[in-house]
Amino acid sequence: MTARPITTVKTVVAGIEEAGDGIKLFVLVDPDRWELPPFKPGAHIDLHLPNGLVRTYSLCNEPADNARYVIAVKREADGRGGSRALHDGIRLGDVIGVSLPRGGLDPGARIGRYVFVAGGIGVTPFLSMARHLERTEQVDFTLHLIVREEVPLAAHLGSLIEGGRIVLHRTSRTGRPDLAALIGEGGADTLVACCGPEGMTDDFERVTAAWPAANVHIERFVAPPPIIDPDAKPFTLSLARTGTEIQVRAGQTMLAALQEKGIDIATSCCGGICGACKVGWIEGKPVHRDRILSPYERERYLMVCVAGSDAERLVLDL
Amino acid sequence: MLDTISAGSAQNAAQLGWTGVVRFLHLTPRAFLPMRAAETITLIAGRGIEGDRYMIGNEEGFYSHKPEEGRQVTLFELETLVALKRDAGIELGPEEHRRNVTVEGVPLTHLVGRKFWLGGTLLEATRLSIPCRHIEEITGKAIFDPLINRSGLNCKILQGGIVKVGDTVRNAA
Repeated sequence: MTARPITTVKTVVAGIEEAGDGIKLFVLVDPDRWELPPFKPGAHIDLHLPNGLVRTYSLCNEPADNARYVIAVKREADGRGGSRALHDGIRLGDVIGVSLPRGGLDPGARIGRYVFVAGGIGVTPFLSMARHLERTEQVDFTLHLIVREEVPLAAHLGSLIEGGRIVLHRTSRTGRPDLAALIGEGGADTLVACCGPEGMTDDFERVTAAWPAANVHIERFVAPPPIIDPDAKPFTLSLARTGTEIQVRAGQTMLAALQEKGIDIATSCCGGICGACKVGWIEGKPVHRDRILSPYERERYLMVCVAGSDAERLVLDL
Repeated sequence: MLDTISAGSAQNAAQLGWTGVVRFLHLTPRAFLPMRAAETITLIAGRGIEGDRYMIGNEEGFYSHKPEEGRQVTLFELETLVALKRDAGIELGPEEHRRNVTVEGVPLTHLVGRKFWLGGTLLEATRLSIPCRHIEEITGKAIFDPLINRSGLNCKILQGGIVKVGDTVRNAA
């Protein structure tokens, strides 16, 4: 048995490629080369790095290439540490836990034309999308790649540039292009997407402000704060037996807050029906949300996987 | 009284002349990875399925930190997949429910505590499976609620052997 719950997909670094301009490609695979959890074109994953950092990177490969996760990482000397840890510390054969893939193009969307705008290393998610769209020959797409001078991942973009799919804009020669002109007029079947540095994504957001939200997609290098239920409020858990106080963030489950503090709670379904995480409560106003406790039991117990609190403080028998 | 009636009904139903069939076999070596279809799987008595994540002694499953002998092999009813589509409009493939053996014509809910033959292997059902939020995370489909009370059967392996697609499932009364 394993001592702790498995919370990440186990991968092994099977390839590291110097891609020029301070960029390295990392190829992550299952230890037995099993297929990895599926993803949509342009999806991203969190890497749980050995030094404890958790960093998000776009996948460069396409969904049909389903036994690898390929990420491109530009070393940022003054960044937050993730790219340095990967460039300087990760070797072939190292084990890295990753999250399930999130985001990416919706395969069910009725889109007839894609216009992508990428700034520098922000090209990575579009590499995945472009490969997918080109292989499946579904729709028309153009990728406007805005760089200062050097083209990132040039060896991987060659055929797309030659095929006219990528339009290069070198700001050192021609200045910054007019984003509104690049994306043109919107249409119900047009999707525009942007990934790049903050200034570029802010500009893109401005020029697409009047577009329907479903037709605009923006990827930022630094993830925006998670969307939280507007009615959710933070509260304090007080553990009666140990005297510990734990803050539960708005929208966070009690279970997650307890686990963050290393408190071991038995869980199973995490949906309020199995009863594994039943805990006694002593004081407060719990909001139950489980589907198994009787009204009588609810006077004394709650399920920490789904319960919330209607008061600022909730005292648990822990 | 109710206990007697329920136990009696379950016993009767399980002993009625049902015969089922193995429709799909799936396994995966680690938590979160896609299930891979197989034409045959090898069951090891008292341990699990060769190459599967819940093989005792080689566990890498999502629930492996909570050991349970009834997780050696898990079954799921094909009829539930049909019902999900019919009643909830949800298309769930046999590779998505994350149990190992998809059977047709087997009254899984009646078999808890009973022994039955899966091909040439002998199983003992320990409990009904419960759905978990984990499966929604993996499939991206809202199937937690529709799977309550019909998310499969956990079994331990009394006699091992090779199980094939098309094998017969029958009572071991």
